Amino acid sequence: MDRLSRVPFTLLFTAALLGQTSIGDAVEASRRSRAPKFDFDEAPYIERGAARIAEPGIIAPVTKGLHGFRLKMGSMVLTSGFALGPEFLTGSPRFERILFRTSARFSAPGYQLYDAEFALPSLAGDRLFFNALAAHRNYPRLPYFGPGPDSSANNRTSYRLENTSLDLTAGVRPFRHMRLGATSGVEMVNVGRGRDSRFRSTEQLFGPRSAPGVDHQSDFLTAGGFLEYDYTESEGTPRRGGNYSLRFTNYVDQTLGTGSFRRVDVDLRQYLPFFQKQRMIALRAYSVLTDTSSRKAVPFYLQPSLGGPEAMRGFHAFRFYDNNLLLLTAEYRWKVSSGVELAFFGDGGKVFPRRRDFNLRNLEGSYGAGVRFNIRREVFLRLDFGCSHEGCNLWLRFHDFF
Amino acid sequence: MVKIPRLLLAPVAAALIAWPLCAGKFQDTDPAETQPPPISVSKLRSVSPGEFGDFLSHTFCKQGERNSKSKVYPAQGVNTLGEVIDSAWFKDRHAKRRMTLEELARGPGNSKAPSKDRPWMVTSAKTEGITPGFQIKDSAGRKYILKLDLKQWPEMASAADVIGSKFFHALGYHVPENYIVTFDRAQLALPGNAGGSVNGSAKKRPWREKDIDTILARAYKSGDGQYRALASLYLDGEPLGPFSYHGVRSDDPNDKIPHEHRRELRGLYVIAAWLNHTDCKGGNTLDMVVEEGGVRYVKHHLIDFGATLGSASFETKSARQGHEYLLDAKPSAIQFFTFGFYVPKWARVEYSDLPSVGKIEAEAFEPDQWKGNFPNPAFLNRLPDDIFWATTRVMAFRDEDIRTIVTTGQYSDPKAVEWLVRTLIARRDKIVETFLEAVLPLDNFRVSGNRLEFDDLGKKQRQTPRTLSVQWSQFENGSGRTTALPAAAAFQIPNDLATAANGSYFSARIAEGNSPKAALVYLAKRRGRIEVVGIERKW
Repeated sequence: MDRLSRVPFTLLFTAALLGQTSIGDAVEASRRSRAPKFDFDEAPYIERGAARIAEPGIIAPVTKGLHGFRLKMGSMVLTSGFALGPEFLTGSPRFERILFRTSARFSAPGYQLYDAEFALPSLAGDRLFFNALAAHRNYPRLPYFGPGPDSSANNRTSYRLENTSLDLTAGVRPFRHMRLGATSGVEMVNVGRGRDSRFRSTEQLFGPRSAPGVDHQSDFLTAGGFLEYDYTESEGTPRRGGNYSLRFTNYVDQTLGTGSFRRVDVDLRQYLPFFQKQRMIALRAYSVLTDTSSRKAVPFYLQPSLGGPEAMRGFHAFRFYDNNLLLLTAEYRWKVSSGVELAFFGDGGKVFPRRRDFNLRNLEGSYGAGVRFNIRREVFLRLDFGCSHEGCNLWLRFHDFF
Repeated sequence: MVKIPRLLLAPVAAALIAWPLCAGKFQDTDPAETQPPPISVSKLRSVSPGEFGDFLSHTFCKQGERNSKSKVYPAQGVNTLGEVIDSAWFKDRHAKRRMTLEELARGPGNSKAPSKDRPWMVTSAKTEGITPGFQIKDSAGRKYILKLDLKQWPEMASAADVIGSKFFHALGYHVPENYIVTFDRAQLALPGNAGGSVNGSAKKRPWREKDIDTILARAYKSGDGQYRALASLYLDGEPLGPFSYHGVRSDDPNDKIPHEHRRELRGLYVIAAWLNHTDCKGGNTLDMVVEEGGVRYVKHHLIDFGATLGSASFETKSARQGHEYLLDAKPSAIQFFTFGFYVPKWARVEYSDLPSVGKIEAEAFEPDQWKGNFPNPAFLNRLPDDIFWATTRVMAFRDEDIRTIVTTGQYSDPKAVEWLVRTLIARRDKIVETFLEAVLPLDNFRVSGNRLEFDDLGKKQRQTPRTLSVQWSQFENGSGRTTALPAAAAFQIPNDLATAANGSYFSARIAEGNSPKAALVYLAKRRGRIEVVGIERKW
């Protein structure tokens, strides 16, 4: 024992023997004399603050819910701004493999989304799954720049999209990485005057010939199927492997019959890690091809679009609409610390009216850099700065997109 | 009780304070083997682990009393030889007296594995989060924490936890008894009153059998339907929560040394580096109030070794772990400005591809550069003599000792054992190579015949023998004054010492060339014999 540390002991025992003060007092005095500044219970402000915030009674009701209710943030359409609202999740002890949730979300520009979801994600020993999603959306100021790859950025308009839908999905997992299934649904769409005072309303600039469906409401029945092969890692943002999916949907216009079409989505993603997953090349090829009978046209609000944080980050959200789409994306990602990853990216893509234009000619390009923050492998915040010949955009998203 | 005026007490107290200081550098009982018995404690407060706060405060704030160029705090809780005194924190084991291979394998105990003669009662369970598990009670009434191996990483976390507990026990730390158990679904049962929150909901309700199934669904299950888990026996006593790596507990009268000055906690850096214990933090410790001989005192334990070796408990370690803090400005800046084209060595070396091993290797391991997940004030306070002390603890493990302990991880693949044994041997050798010469590595000083003898622990690493010089002095224990003995310049005991009266003290300053590194050895004449009573190391 070092010399100094004997002092308090000696004091302590002597004081107690003398009967002057209680052992507890002497102990306290000796402790204070030895280490006055270091009190485990006096945690620094930052630690106390963090602990207070992290207390189950404060954070848990917000993030995990109280009596089934919690705050739902984000996950609305691009241009909606920050969305927030209540969500109710079932916590039924008897049916925990049955998920039910319903939420209402609102954003400052007046976007609204109400949805309810019922899911059986793991039936028959995880072989089968089923999902039903009903939603009502009211998006008052979606942007539209006109049809085709040659649309002008100066022709920005806005329109309201009201949409009530029910989508049913049922499927099977025949093998470990494979999912295949069928979808069907109903979609009731109402297109109206845009509420963005900075821009004209869409119908003022684009008629039904260039923006099919802008002049009437339509109800659609949908049916289709999908096949997916996903051998990326099962948890968190993928860091290795590939995910390939093919989806077919048949839209039948129940109102006038002029908006019926068929749509095929092909999405191919490949992740090539190196240097112990500290570096990665991520590649994505995505295409949407539609097909209509003669005298029919794909409603403009159901056309695939390019532009935004998930497709051509150098362009405004929904910058290009047309019947078909091709998007190629490559990212070089490198980790700068365990929770922060940077990326350089390049996007090339185009929309095109006819399927025979499916080629690599006349692609628009955008490029940029981004930073992603993750916790336990999951990206929770993404900042991408993308540029193109039309300018630059900064995108803030609360999830990764591939 | 008779009340004595405080004015009268003051001179008494002052005299008491002065007395031990006047008594000199050494006492007759030095070097002490044990601390004075602890003072019995009464009511102590429990502390909740503040994991998030721990990370933030140590990452962004400077906690505790830190060594600096202007102020150096030598390690405390040590005897005059610099050895950590057996206490509620530490009990020197393998380095002090070689443990047999059986003892190493036994660790803190191996006779209280959960009994499987009847189902285990699940008293609590964790339905959410990343590490599934239960608290169980076996037919003997013993309670355990049961931590399941995850599907993706069979055997990894449970093996790391058991191996870690055996190493830390042999090193001298107080740890729980950890067991690897395999069991089938029928082994787990719910008592009638089990309940709690489910899926992170604030709402509590009775547990159901399906809750157990939900947790087990994430666990590794072998072909014959057996789950594998770590069963950690509840420690004896009343839990108080974790200790901190800085400061002291305000309500524990025995806790007087700021933790960042404890040699066993400073030296833990070297051991954590060896075993890649990147999660060596307050949250992975536990204070228990125990009673021995009618005295209640706080015993300090290290717990939860699931993040040792290549395991990060719920997944394999990232290759980065052990090389950078979770938030680390300098390496982050390098990566930022080089666009990732600078690739650190740890990202280029080969790792085992066995899921049970995770990510641990020796090639990129640099002992003095090793880092845990976030700064630890005791680790940052380490001085060369703390490092030397810990290095001698690591050196005590021979190859066969390491193999014996790794085998207790019960890996089904012999390649996992081979990888870990090879890696830990290589990491141990790197530690010795890097840290041993932090001070002049002479140890085990003794008087044999009429010579001062010692072991050069660095002998193996050197090509040529060390050329040492010695300067003898007479040492006045009361005043601390030294008087050189110019005639004595060899390791032969000088005549002045050989013929000195009992109670005389001498010192021998041993150095190598012009190096500032030196060992100052104190010898005393007691009961007609010459004894080594103290060592001070200079660097």
